[in-house]
Amino acid sequence: MLRRLLAWIDEPVPVLRLAIVRIFAPLAILGFMRGRLIHADEWIGDAGFRVPDLGGDWRQPLYVPALPSWAAWGVAAAMVVSGIACCLGVRTRASALVFATTIAFVALSDRLAAYTVTKLSPAVMIAVALSPAGARLGIDAYKRPRKHGKRPKRLRPSGAARFLQVLPVVMYSASGIAKARGDWLKEPLVLWSHLHDSYQTPIAFALASILPGWTWTAFQGMVLAFELLAPLWFGLARTRTWALVFGLAMHTMIGLMFGPVLWFALLMMTLLVGGYLPERLLAPLEALAERLERPPPLRESTADAAAPPDH
Amino acid sequence: MVDRERRALWLRRRRGALGILGAAYFVGVWLDGAGSGIPARVLPRTANYFVQVAALFPRAATASIDYRAEGFVCSDRTWTELDTRPYFPIDPDDKENRFNRVMHFFRDNRPTMTALDSYLVGRHDLAANDDGIPRDRPIGGVRLSSLRIPIPSPGDRLERTSRRPLSDYPAAERQVFYHTPKSRLSARCGARIENVD
Repeated sequence: MLRRLLAWIDEPVPVLRLAIVRIFAPLAILGFMRGRLIHADEWIGDAGFRVPDLGGDWRQPLYVPALPSWAAWGVAAAMVVSGIACCLGVRTRASALVFATTIAFVALSDRLAAYTVTKLSPAVMIAVALSPAGARLGIDAYKRPRKHGKRPKRLRPSGAARFLQVLPVVMYSASGIAKARGDWLKEPLVLWSHLHDSYQTPIAFALASILPGWTWTAFQGMVLAFELLAPLWFGLARTRTWALVFGLAMHTMIGLMFGPVLWFALLMMTLLVGGYLPERLLAPLEALAERLERPPPLRESTADAAAPPDH
Repeated sequence: MVDRERRALWLRRRRGALGILGAAYFVGVWLDGAGSGIPARVLPRTANYFVQVAALFPRAATASIDYRAEGFVCSDRTWTELDTRPYFPIDPDDKENRFNRVMHFFRDNRPTMTALDSYLVGRHDLAANDDGIPRDRPIGGVRLSSLRIPIPSPGDRLERTSRRPLSDYPAAERQVFYHTPKSRLSARCGARIENVD
């Protein structure tokens, strides 16, 4: 069992899967953070309200004093620059690590504005930093063949890639159990009950007005079955693509119906696409990467040294 | 050769350590989401905080909840709704607003409510923002409430969720969680305050 698991981890995966997460996860995270970033001094600085030091209260995982405004703006700038650098594939390992550090800092500094995106993202970005995510489809990946005359490898074994692949499945499974232990098996209108607060979008309102009550119970059952049995759906080759389609549809609806949850939905969709998009659908991206990463034509004297693409 | 072996050994060890960390993270996320208290017992609070990511919307909402503030206008000796959004500008129109969050998490925590009281009074009295109470009228304190708006049943005529004045809601849908003590109202207003709700 353990040997099979290790063999699965060691199996080479397309680096493009990691590049997808490297490109889109920072965008989703920065999208979520944008409202906070433009008020950085109010958010983590001394210009806004701060919960006082509660000396070990369970609601305050760590007391971080307010930063002076200039430092708050500095953290915000570091987050934006490192997030964009990571997305563009500029010094990916370093930029992903700085990005992860700034997110972890703000998650601890301000409990009030921290949500799942804030708490989940450091793990995602550390995995990106530990992976070869910057080796393809980025600025460094574009420059490298021009410098060294070598194309990047298409496939590489990566524990971080496996981490990013398993992460959404672990989350769904745990979330499904939380729902089953909560009200989702007892109350037929749990989903309906969440449509009426300040998260409500025009689409949520329109659907709540049009659809009969039983459809919300049906959606609730589908979501619960998807999440509870996610290890099965994503583990079996036969159901994997359908699970991907269902997951993407579910997050699309969540994003469209629950205003600010859009960014969480995009982050989860990124993990799903990066982890489970069928390889044949990676082909257009592969073609684009090949074009970008083609070494410049070599002069005759050095042509012999040109390395073929690695596989 | 020795260097290469050493490097290979170091890489193996690093890989093993990262593998254990990754697996521990998954176990923490899964157990926490599944409702186990083990992560909270064995992990430092900071680490435990980062594994609390999976238990999303496990319960049905029993009401649509909003939080509001009123200021005690010293000159009128009345409570008037105070719009907190200028003082909590992040996500002003939804429940991710920091005022809503501080009320959600800390409404029963006296030190936090006292700090919030001082913050709101201080901000209003700076007279730099329009918050529903004239800038030239200082306030002596705040009253902080929750609104619990009933959820309609399927088939009911629905109204788009919007922010309405506090006075539009019946008393049964409001619950006061905190108000500035009279002694502090008196001190801030510079006059003895009696017979205040």
